[in-house]
Amino acid sequence: MSSSPTGVTISREPAEGHVGGELLTVNFGPQHPSTHGVLRLVVILDGEVIRGVRPVIGYLHTGIEKQMEALRWQQGVVVTDRHDYLSPLHNNLAYAMAVERLVGVEPPPRAQALRVIMCELTRISSHCLWLGTSSLELGAMSMFMYCLRERETVLAMNEEISGYRMHTSYIRPGGVMADATERFWDMLADFVEKMPGHVDEYEDLLTNNPIWKRRTVGIGYLSAEDAVRLGASGPMVRGSGLPWDLRKTMPYSGYEKYDFEIAVEEAGDCYARYLCRIKEFRESVRILKQAMASIPDGPINVDERKMLPPPREELETSMEAVIHHFKLFTEGYSVPSGDVYAAVESPRGEHGCYVVSDGTHKPRRVKFRSASFVNLQALEHMAMGSMIADMIAIIGTADTVLGDVDR
Amino acid sequence: MTKAKSRAATSHKHVEEEGVSAGDRWIRVSREHLVATLRALQAEGYKSLLFMSAVDHLATPVRPSPPERFELIYQLRNLDTREELRVRVWVPEDDPVAPTASEIYAPAGWDERETWDMFGIRFDGHKDLVRILMPEDWEGHPLRRDFPVGGETVDFSEDHEVWQTAPEEA
Repeated sequence: MSSSPTGVTISREPAEGHVGGELLTVNFGPQHPSTHGVLRLVVILDGEVIRGVRPVIGYLHTGIEKQMEALRWQQGVVVTDRHDYLSPLHNNLAYAMAVERLVGVEPPPRAQALRVIMCELTRISSHCLWLGTSSLELGAMSMFMYCLRERETVLAMNEEISGYRMHTSYIRPGGVMADATERFWDMLADFVEKMPGHVDEYEDLLTNNPIWKRRTVGIGYLSAEDAVRLGASGPMVRGSGLPWDLRKTMPYSGYEKYDFEIAVEEAGDCYARYLCRIKEFRESVRILKQAMASIPDGPINVDERKMLPPPREELETSMEAVIHHFKLFTEGYSVPSGDVYAAVESPRGEHGCYVVSDGTHKPRRVKFRSASFVNLQALEHMAMGSMIADMIAIIGTADTVLGDVDR
Repeated sequence: MTKAKSRAATSHKHVEEEGVSAGDRWIRVSREHLVATLRALQAEGYKSLLFMSAVDHLATPVRPSPPERFELIYQLRNLDTREELRVRVWVPEDDPVAPTASEIYAPAGWDERETWDMFGIRFDGHKDLVRILMPEDWEGHPLRRDFPVGGETVDFSEDHEVWQTAPEEA
């Protein structure tokens, strides 16, 4: 029986044959390097064995949903970049898809292909950061440098296409910000050529590494039934043998046109989740190659002057264009009243955006269904009965981003 | 076949209203029948609760006006047929209480804590209904429309709107 500073009493019956006759409550975090942000865990220990975990979150709460309500529809995109800061493009896409469905427009094929390309690049860069940091925590120091090298290449491509390295706001309701430059295509061609070799390098260092395997195989087991019951998504369910990937099962943004496989592993432990993400690296490269080869020509934005500014050259000749431009940037556009839920497969799982419009130029409510928030609830289930040192591996392979948990 | 099946799902006896919004199917039930409806839907195959949350309709320009201020939203998915269904429940302002769904769907545990934290709607039967994102000594519920946005006016810019719904409009 112990009382946590949140005013909540955590009580657990001591297990049979527990060490030393008492349970020990230990505070883990909030400033702990393995928590990928600011996560605090109140852990109940029986010797070194975990008997209870209570995540205490909210340290990175920045009122993202409240801010979205205070901004106009097109301004909200900038905020969506910032909660899950490792996959900003997926956050943009979920919001853009929700707004587009409410307005009733469909982005042109070239915009959809550019969205797929940028999302898959983001998936690679997010998995790179995940692999680098979580293997660093488990003692594989050099991985961090290899992974950050590739992440850097992706960030350079972000900069080339949008001007920003991380918070790109590239995908917007109605299309994308700008078309890809020649230099971007060269960088991308070079990247998809080299990336499979880099993934082989990661695998050489880790997949058969006995230390890595002893820290991850059989640790943090999550069965497929429990994963579904707890609402987990992404590599958390695919690592448990459930082939569920929104890109395949409920395709969006033209994913049905690409030939790729859902990365599934049966074992349900930390090692399976690692293998899953390694497979996803390769599948993302496959998608990128196909998307590059088959990208259609055409506009990158919907032809809807109420939603998107007119081209610069029209402003000099058309009165209508000037009016649209002025209205858009002083008042914004209004969206028909209604509500909609749009979901994408982010690197961490299902990232959804639930938007309610009351017919005005600002959203009535924007709710983010964050994959990290839901996956973190499964932590207690996965950690129960394992050793305290394994907690690092379990948090690591759950790949939660605390900015996304707290929003 | 799928069409016939979806009609079966919504022909549940407690459904008061149903519709489609931007392609998403939804049903509305009363607070009293929420638990029974969710249990029946889970048995029908809606195994996954994607999220639950609330919407504050205070001073909405939408006509006809909503009968109550708060609305609870439960987004469900059937993993086999890949169908989604949204369950909506009105919650009055003077009695912001609803039965908990955390016994039926595990992810509702944290979502209901967040809804309590952000909207001040209590969930009867929830084992651990404490604030989740805001500090425990925080006053007020930030996502209510009459809670100020805060912030300050930037020089030479348009006026910053501190209120979404000012106290005199509410």
